[in-house]
Amino acid sequence: MVEAGTLEKGDAHVVITNADKREIAVKSKLERIYGDAIRKTVDEMTSHIVGKIYVEDMGALDWVIRARIEAAIRKFRGEEQ
Amino acid sequence: MNLRRTRLYIPGNNPHLVENAGLYGADCVILDLEDSVPLDQKFDARILVKYSLRNVDFGRSEKWVRINSPDTPFWKADLEEVLPYVDVVNVPKVESYEDVEMISEIMDEIEDKHGVEKRKIVPIIETLKGLTNAREIANHPRVVAMAWGGEDLTAELGIPKKKALILDHVRAEIVIASKSHGKMALDTVYSNIRDEEGLFEYARRARYMGFDGVGVLHPNQVEVVHRAFRPEEKDIEEAKKIVEAAEKAMKEGKGVISLNGRMIDKPVLERARKILAFAEVD
Repeated sequence: MVEAGTLEKGDAHVVITNADKREIAVKSKLERIYGDAIRKTVDEMTSHIVGKIYVEDMGALDWVIRARIEAAIRKFRGEEQ
Repeated sequence: MNLRRTRLYIPGNNPHLVENAGLYGADCVILDLEDSVPLDQKFDARILVKYSLRNVDFGRSEKWVRINSPDTPFWKADLEEVLPYVDVVNVPKVESYEDVEMISEIMDEIEDKHGVEKRKIVPIIETLKGLTNAREIANHPRVVAMAWGGEDLTAELGIPKKKALILDHVRAEIVIASKSHGKMALDTVYSNIRDEEGLFEYARRARYMGFDGVGVLHPNQVEVVHRAFRPEEKDIEEAKKIVEAAEKAMKEGKGVISLNGRMIDKPVLERARKILAFAEVD
């Protein structure tokens, strides 16, 4: 399991865990307005990943979510800190 | 002329603070990857800072990133991630010309790879060794200004920072080292963010010591420092007359500038231009 980001206001927390199939779950404070857009971003950025991807959005802007997803993907690939 | 009266520190791993950083009118915004970022967040922070530099409108603020110091395993990765998107790299704990050169060489490689212009460096002098070598450090072509910090210096000397009389000498040395190479000198932060009057006096003192700016920790400090660095009205009026006289002399093809029968030499003209820049007069 790898994670990136925080649960602070304006941030997003991304967790990727090993799994046999691809699965995306998104929880957002602003689900009704941004839920679909966030799911689309997550799907696009993680299309090559087989695993469970969980994103909890704390009201983050799009670039913040993207930054946190990239950090999680790179950690999942084993990039050293 | 680039003004660097205020450089506002923003923790690099806090998106909420980063996204608003350009709203406060600071001359420079420093997205910090060093002291304000815990070890287990360094990786996330440098990626967040990269995205912010590409997406956030920092307004008229010059975009700086404070990377981790050259004695840590983080500084190269910091540069690789953010360098193409910054204006200035702020390097803590610089101790020698060789430190700057080592960083500059890595910057060369990254700039070539991304096809971007040479970025600037502002080293922070924080140790006795760094202070001893400050005049050489200021001479590096990438260095546009020098800043300093007192924590490590006073720890090395074994004296409490608030009572360290030697810090006035350190300040003077930073100004002399920087100015002797035509670079800016930048004073450290005033840490009591609630003491507006104290900050104003601190910034005024920095200005009269020869500094071009001070670090700020809170957006509310920006306006106070800008006010402290604003020249007196009579100096602004005098500077306007000097610059007008210089422009008139240039139009008329005269080699000598004179005002009210007094010859104006180059340093006086330069000072006048600087006064107008600090007064934010075009």
